[in-house]
Amino acid sequence: MIRKRVSSSFRDPSGFLFTEDGEIYRQINQSYRTHYDYFIESGLYEKLIKNNLLVKQTEISQDLEGSSQDYYKLIKPEKLPFISYPHEWCFDELKDAALATLKIQKVALEHGMSLKDASAFNIQFKDGRPVLIDTLSFEKYKRGSPWIAYRQFCQHFLGPLALMYYRDQRLNQLFRIYIDGLPLDLVSALLPKRTFCRVAILIHIHLHAKAQKYYSHRTLDKTRQNVKRQSMFGIIDNLEAAIRKFSYKLPESEWSNYYEDLHYSSAALSHKSILVSNVLDKLKPKTVWDFGANTGLFSRLAGNRGIPTVAFDIDHAAVTINYRECREKNQTNLLPLVLDLANPTSGFGWANQERMSLRERGPVDLALALALLHHLRISDNIPLEKIARFFAEICQWCLIEYIPKSDPMVQKLLKNREDIFHDYYEKDFEQIFNNYFQQIDRYNIDDSDRKLYFYQKR
Amino acid sequence: MIFAYKFVSCIVIALSLVIAFPCFAYAYLDPGTGSYILQILIATFFGILYVMKRYWYRIKSFMVNLFKGNRSGNKND
Repeated sequence: MIRKRVSSSFRDPSGFLFTEDGEIYRQINQSYRTHYDYFIESGLYEKLIKNNLLVKQTEISQDLEGSSQDYYKLIKPEKLPFISYPHEWCFDELKDAALATLKIQKVALEHGMSLKDASAFNIQFKDGRPVLIDTLSFEKYKRGSPWIAYRQFCQHFLGPLALMYYRDQRLNQLFRIYIDGLPLDLVSALLPKRTFCRVAILIHIHLHAKAQKYYSHRTLDKTRQNVKRQSMFGIIDNLEAAIRKFSYKLPESEWSNYYEDLHYSSAALSHKSILVSNVLDKLKPKTVWDFGANTGLFSRLAGNRGIPTVAFDIDHAAVTINYRECREKNQTNLLPLVLDLANPTSGFGWANQERMSLRERGPVDLALALALLHHLRISDNIPLEKIARFFAEICQWCLIEYIPKSDPMVQKLLKNREDIFHDYYEKDFEQIFNNYFQQIDRYNIDDSDRKLYFYQKR
Repeated sequence: MIFAYKFVSCIVIALSLVIAFPCFAYAYLDPGTGSYILQILIATFFGILYVMKRYWYRIKSFMVNLFKGNRSGNKND
């Protein structure tokens, strides 16, 4: 049995996560005993589970060898098919995660507890809904005590959402740099001046940033601190109202109207859907990652078959459309995420190990790369050799579409540039991919020159 | 009306923050102190707003029910 501590679980002395034989466990330390017992006895755990706001857990009665003296209890949280990070979420996903965090805090207060962490990294998407994954985030509420995680909430949710709403949705990428949320002085400086007229933004961002700076070298007189429980509900209510007012209006993006713009004939599109469906039915993969998923037309074929599927796309608008459709149609097996495959998430945080790179979150059973290869080769100038090697590292099987230079979409990419892509021919593609994969099948897509290759990793 | 409310709120909050600084002594502290103090300063304001909002919803729902009741009563007449 190999026990390995989860690399992100080291900041909180209340306990830690580890894996053993591929299963995930959480040790609860003695120092957290009273809080944990109260968390269960107060009915908070049950209430959060009932409201789908927390991952389920099972208490494990077995004694583990090598447990430290701090050991109090062992729990086994429900394993999630994919761990995603806030910079990979679209605006709506971050907004839903923020509202879920506030709802959790309200329920906790009603049960005599309070969230001590409000990190966006503690929220994950399960069955298409945001849930808290950290059971150790609660502490017993002390009468008169302010919300200890207020700063973190503003840095992880309100600040990023305000920037995305007032400036540009791509600013969620700042999460890759600032692991403990966006510094409020930076958010305040980047927001437009008109936000000073919004009460919630004025207080929770601009004045908050000023207060942080002003008090950074001063201590507070603890005898004067007193926040009534009702006032805490008032602050949460105001934060919630501010966040609900943010609504992301879809811009006209290159990708969000991709299918409507008819780059494919309907015959080609429908034949491609049949081919992808056939592969899914034949292979029955346990997990699917769809790269360049756009609004999730083909990802949905996997998700609707009950396969946990992640739909990656570089375009924020396309991911938002995809997410909204998942919410509307209650498609729970599909997780749309923002990802630039030419620069996928690397390991970040402490020692570059706190948060996992995309590759560390794999390998996936089946990778879909439909109408993507020409972008990687021509737009991003990545050699076919490197593309083939990457896919061989992240998946067991791969369904990849080859689009020849004669295709109008490739012609569009080559229109205003010199064709330096002398390896971008079918023969070269097959030769290079055959070094890493064994070809299971090859399909011609009707009414086009495009081909689908179904590969198994060598 | 809403703009006037917002404007007055902004002024009141800004002034309160300037006036209501708690006692302090110089020391090294983590940057969370400002967040902590801000919360203490804004707590009463949001507490009052919260209570007003709840009462307002209650009055509103009472009025709506009353109005609906009267209308259904009239229909019965």
